[in-house]
Amino acid sequence: MTIGEKFTAAFITEDRWQLYLKGLGITVEIALFAAIIGLVLGTVLALMKLSTTRNGKPSLVNYIATAYVDIIRGTPSVLQLLIMWFIVLKSSNNGVLVASLSFGLNSAAYVSEIVRGGILAVDNGQMEAGRSLGLTKAMTMRYIVLPQAMKNIIPPMGNEFITLLKETAIVGYVSLNDLTRAANLIQSRTYEAFMPLIGAAVIYFAVIKVLTLLLGVMERRLRRSDNR
Amino acid sequence: MKKLLAAVLTGVMCASLLTACGGSAPAASASTEAASVAAAGSESAPAEAAADSVLNKDTLIVGTNAAFPPFEYAGADGTPDGFDIALIKAVGEKIGKNIEVKDMEFDSLVASIGNKIDVAIAGMTVTDERKNMVDFSDPYYEAVQNVIVVKGSEISTADDLKGKNIGVQLGTTGDFIASDVEGAQVSQYNKGVDAVNDLLNGRVDCVILDTNPAKEFVSQHADELTALEGDGFGFETENYAIAMPKGDAALVEAVNGALKELKEDGTFDALVAEYINNGEVPEAEEASEEASTEAASEESSEAASTEAASTEAE
Repeated sequence: MTIGEKFTAAFITEDRWQLYLKGLGITVEIALFAAIIGLVLGTVLALMKLSTTRNGKPSLVNYIATAYVDIIRGTPSVLQLLIMWFIVLKSSNNGVLVASLSFGLNSAAYVSEIVRGGILAVDNGQMEAGRSLGLTKAMTMRYIVLPQAMKNIIPPMGNEFITLLKETAIVGYVSLNDLTRAANLIQSRTYEAFMPLIGAAVIYFAVIKVLTLLLGVMERRLRRSDNR
Repeated sequence: MKKLLAAVLTGVMCASLLTACGGSAPAASASTEAASVAAAGSESAPAEAAADSVLNKDTLIVGTNAAFPPFEYAGADGTPDGFDIALIKAVGEKIGKNIEVKDMEFDSLVASIGNKIDVAIAGMTVTDERKNMVDFSDPYYEAVQNVIVVKGSEISTADDLKGKNIGVQLGTTGDFIASDVEGAQVSQYNKGVDAVNDLLNGRVDCVILDTNPAKEFVSQHADELTALEGDGFGFETENYAIAMPKGDAALVEAVNGALKELKEDGTFDALVAEYINNGEVPEAEEASEEASTEAASEESSEAASTEAASTEAE
């Protein structure tokens, strides 16, 4: 087959380009829901991991959060997905939901460490200042520490979202037709690997490039007030 | 500083290029090792084989997908085992080659022939599309797709499949059939057993798989599942064959010769009995295989023709 024929077989015959588009839709959908779950749950976990009892010892919620992060980070995400699909949510028919939840719970563990790092990077004096001005611990955290932590966590958070988007490539294991699976599917029809695989890779790259640009814009906006 | 950086980057690129080009080196060293082992008994490369023929190698790398019992499955020690594996090893013995089996995804087998693997044996059905990419040996087994359903399911004819959610293994004949069913939603799994699990979980309405693996999977859940014969759905009988690189006539000839010999000396039937019929040798079954594999040749017993008629009726 010539390059042209390979291209036609991989993208045009039987409107196969639609498979890539649909696959991309599924990939983005899963990654988006997972990112939301990861962000919310991850922030909660980070606060749990920072919580202490009155005399400065780690609290019970701290232990719970630490155990959760340990377990999630200590097991491969593909196993977590299979466990979620075949065991935990085996009665659910909504593949995207199962995958989003699985990746979201996974991402939360990593996000929690990013957020915790960001909070710890804010000088302790900020908390002390807030407290001595009469704010409660929660208020200081919410109005003074977290906004400053936000700026620190944007670059690693972008990293996490990009990893998350690419990690969804394993949902083919549970018969979801994401972008990678679309490429596999077309390869199984045309028996030709180059075009579908390179094509999918280019699409992933383009999407992540756009995401990177957006993150860059956001980061610059947040840094604007740094130049005093 | 910049110069240093440039030097380091150049070094890294060179290293990566070297490793990329060296990809074939392990295979080469493996085959030389194998050569020293095989050299004792075997001859030098056959004279009639073309320069680029796989026959010039001492070790055939055979691709399979060990998730297709009883033809191939992970054996007790984790390496692929099953009818196909035993058959290709017997073929290797006949043509004086070592056999190295590689387990991989079924959907990438055909694309891997000629680069990652030399031949593929994986209960692979001969189709025109595949013939565009590879050459096939003479068929060695005849099968038809089965439809696995939960007991008491309403699915019993081809019409019942319309609009249903059908589970299949990616890139198999069942996948192609299901993809052509009107309004059906097809869930492609990496392994047939995953599809069967999701049938048990209620995520798909039925699973289309080849006869023998289907029966194997159903036998493990005999209370809940049942396998319906494909002729009720109008599925055509298909032939399994060994896939080989396109245009390697010498190899095809050698493999076909070996298959023929194995059938004549009874090895083939012994393997069928051992792997597929679990030690028993039911007359009709065996005859049907012979009919399928030697349909072109002169032999055809009455038993074979009646059996063939019953599978191909409707």
